[in-house]
Amino acid sequence: MAGIGWKLQRMIDHGSLAGTIAAYLTGVAVTSAPWLLTTAVLTSLRIVSRHATGAFEGVERFLTVVYAITVVVSAPIHVVVARYTADRLYDRRVDRIAAPLRRAAALTVVGFALIGAALVALLHLPLPLALVGAPLTAIIGAQWLMLSVGGGLMSPVVLLRAFGIGAPLSLFAALVVERAAPAGGAGYLAGFAAGQVVTLALLVRGVARVLPAATDETSPLWPAFVEYRLLALSALAYYVSIWADKIVVYVVMGGDAAAFYAAIAAVAWFSVIPAFAWIYVQVETAFYQRFRSFYVELEAGAPLRELKQHAELISTEAKRILRGAAAVQMAATALAIAAAPRIVAVVGLSPDATPLFRVAALGAGLQVFSLLEVLLLTYFDLRRDALVICGCLLIGVTTLTSVCSVIGWPPVIGHLFACAVSSLLGLALVRRRLQTLVLDTFQSQPFGAA
Amino acid sequence: MQAADPQALAAFSVADEPVGAVPADVCLLVEGTYPFVSGGVSSWVHDVICGHPELKFSVLYVGSYPGAHGEPHYQLPENVVALHRVFCQEAALAPLDGAGRATLREQIRALRTEIDARPSSSRVLAGLERMHVRGEAGAEVLAALACNDLSLPELLHGRSSFQLLTTIAERVAPDAPFLDLFWHYRAIFAPVLRLLAAPTVAARCYHAVATGYAGLLAALWSHRTGRPLMVTEHGIYARERDMELARADWIRDEAGGISEPRSTWAPRISPLRRLWSSFFKGLSRIAYVQARHIITLSDVNRTKQIADGAPPEKIEIVPNGVALRGEKLQAVAETPPDIGAVPAHRLRVGFVGRVVPIKDLVTFVRACDIALGSVQIEARVIGPTEEDPGYASRCRQLVARLGRTNWIQFLGPMPPAKIYGDLDVVVLTSFSEGQPLVILEAYTWGLPVIATDVGACREMIEGRGDEDRGIGPSGFVTRVAAPKETAAAIVRLARDPALRARMGAAGRRRVTSYYQRRDMLARYRALYESLIASESTESA
Repeated sequence: MAGIGWKLQRMIDHGSLAGTIAAYLTGVAVTSAPWLLTTAVLTSLRIVSRHATGAFEGVERFLTVVYAITVVVSAPIHVVVARYTADRLYDRRVDRIAAPLRRAAALTVVGFALIGAALVALLHLPLPLALVGAPLTAIIGAQWLMLSVGGGLMSPVVLLRAFGIGAPLSLFAALVVERAAPAGGAGYLAGFAAGQVVTLALLVRGVARVLPAATDETSPLWPAFVEYRLLALSALAYYVSIWADKIVVYVVMGGDAAAFYAAIAAVAWFSVIPAFAWIYVQVETAFYQRFRSFYVELEAGAPLRELKQHAELISTEAKRILRGAAAVQMAATALAIAAAPRIVAVVGLSPDATPLFRVAALGAGLQVFSLLEVLLLTYFDLRRDALVICGCLLIGVTTLTSVCSVIGWPPVIGHLFACAVSSLLGLALVRRRLQTLVLDTFQSQPFGAA
Repeated sequence: MQAADPQALAAFSVADEPVGAVPADVCLLVEGTYPFVSGGVSSWVHDVICGHPELKFSVLYVGSYPGAHGEPHYQLPENVVALHRVFCQEAALAPLDGAGRATLREQIRALRTEIDARPSSSRVLAGLERMHVRGEAGAEVLAALACNDLSLPELLHGRSSFQLLTTIAERVAPDAPFLDLFWHYRAIFAPVLRLLAAPTVAARCYHAVATGYAGLLAALWSHRTGRPLMVTEHGIYARERDMELARADWIRDEAGGISEPRSTWAPRISPLRRLWSSFFKGLSRIAYVQARHIITLSDVNRTKQIADGAPPEKIEIVPNGVALRGEKLQAVAETPPDIGAVPAHRLRVGFVGRVVPIKDLVTFVRACDIALGSVQIEARVIGPTEEDPGYASRCRQLVARLGRTNWIQFLGPMPPAKIYGDLDVVVLTSFSEGQPLVILEAYTWGLPVIATDVGACREMIEGRGDEDRGIGPSGFVTRVAAPKETAAAIVRLARDPALRARMGAAGRRRVTSYYQRRDMLARYRALYESLIASESTESA
């Protein structure tokens, strides 16, 4: 997204350490804030609510499922809406964003409220929890939608503020409501939901502020879903792959093993935060500028030799980002591996989890690397290639964790191999495309069609 | 020009699919003219067909895209056995919605995968490379093109096609905006591939009434069937395209924006213009190489054809001819014009022709405006305006802006019999001409002509050989885009009725001596007979 990219670049261009740190913290916020803060809130809730473990465990389980479901189900919607928004920004038709966004938000709220209702029914939640749980699902779904749209439209400060205020408020409200009005798990959930409502409200306000008052109410969104169906499928496959291994372990090995595995995977996933932030900042700044300058020069009438130079710069930049992401992730993974016993102890897992955690950290790193490859291919509009990587990841994770679970190996090994295969495949696809960038740019153009 | 008879046309078989058609004696290939556009070349084609009732003709019309032409302007003669149409482009598609774009994108991806899996040794691509990179356009290039082993999708999406594009970019147009070059590359070659893929129309000989796309197609079919080809050029195709290219506003010369259209015909050289120019020259050379006879109208054009690569030994000059007004009453040709019939009031000046940029009506209007400052004239623009409505509109606006709407009138197309009887002088301000029928028609009416020094105009007005020159001038020759010169000639003729009469009489003598339709038809009859006979010999 160009908008946030320029803001990040300005932070970095200040030349100060504070500016650079702010840029990377913004990257952390945009890429990881929802799940990071939510996880932090849930962890904090667990720590401060040890006296009410029974009620809290129900809330925690419900919230975990809600987040998993909303992330997976909403991913295709968000990627399409985000792409639609980006296209309208490029067309300079910002007036065509608000109306489809309203419709998408309305559908999201209704759709996720129904999903929430189904979830509370499936999980057999008591009525007080159910009454809060279903609307909370809709709130979280709408938050994701606003985050995907707002990421390209508004200042990262607004995003940071929304989650920075909403997350502590969730924690605070959960404790206050639970203690002031002892309603058990429902109290926690109601308090938590209150904080999330504030986050959503701040996001909505932030998006509304950057959209013009005059809107084109006739703009349809559905054609974008048809046009970007491969992107939507890629997003779906990628996000399902994040949860597929947990489901496999649950089905094959049972609830306890799944909870143990999920806890290890969740903690290991924290090791990708630095790489996430680094990738985000680099892709949105340096890479975007190289990428953009190629097309600016193309449209400005650059001859072939200059286009080849620009294509070479893109290629160099892409390789630099791949190397950089690998380096950042390796450092984070090495740290996680070295500190594994301590981390495992801090989060309350048994020492048996230490080697598994190390393998999970390696897998998480490779999974992020795959995501970077998907991002690069999406930049080049190579949607099918992106889908191939995501599909490979999903199939690999599902198959190999199943095999490992069945033969008695730790499922994290299956996950690690699946991520390794998909990241290697992605690397091959990215390398191939970088070699044919000019060819692909031109020979994929239609002829005789408007 | 004759209006088409709808009933006769409906009864006529329009064969867009020429499979199984009865082979004609002559397949006439025309580009953007007969029978859908009126004008000098179309009239000539109609005349040639009507003048050879013993021969069966098929007509192949090469058009820009389906629907671009209207209804036929000519009633097809009975000896036309088939009318075929081939188009360089497809009709424009409607804008695509999201689903359409996604589908198209997938189709292109699938095509690219399929194309890249094939061996990339297209002879057509090799031929196009020889044509554009090495500047060749001989028999070997024609043989390569005739293979037709390159599909349109391969051109548009194939790796080897892109390799040719980059070769052109690096060797021929290294400074050209590559994005523009890319689209021009497609715009140049896609029509060629459509022509290569057109089913061959069987005929005993081929006659292309121009080089260009029609000439290319004729050369291809002649090469494929082994039947002889004759090319007749009225104007010099490649030169005319060069002039159009010089002022084309759809070619970007410098990076940063489309250049402003030029108001003059001053040559402009840029890589993309050079690319198009060399392409059109290449088309002409291919037709010249394959042709057994190259017919031109004048010495001037012959010289240009030789310069463009036509073998001199193939070139023959066959001037256009017109039926004399008095062909039925031959004696009229010998009658001196009646000077007393010339009106003493306003001089009636006529511009007769299509209202299109190449005829430079703007110069005519400006010349009349200047002349009106000195003498009383009444100017008439007689000819169709539908071919380039934008240009016609700009010309009308110019007349209005000059405040001359009462003296310069647009009358639209009219039958010849009604044109010249009401005129005193005919003026041609064209940038390019072959051998204008308008001049010959004016001569038959005893009218003097003012024409620009293009094509055969000078020799038609001042005479070609000594004997012809002895007749005396039948008008004035002016420079191109020189309204003052044209105006001076108008003023001189307006002030000197005797000069007008002398020049009119000279014109009448000239057309009677050198430009008779029957002579022209007799020469073509002989040429057709020799082509058909030689073809029969080859078949035997």
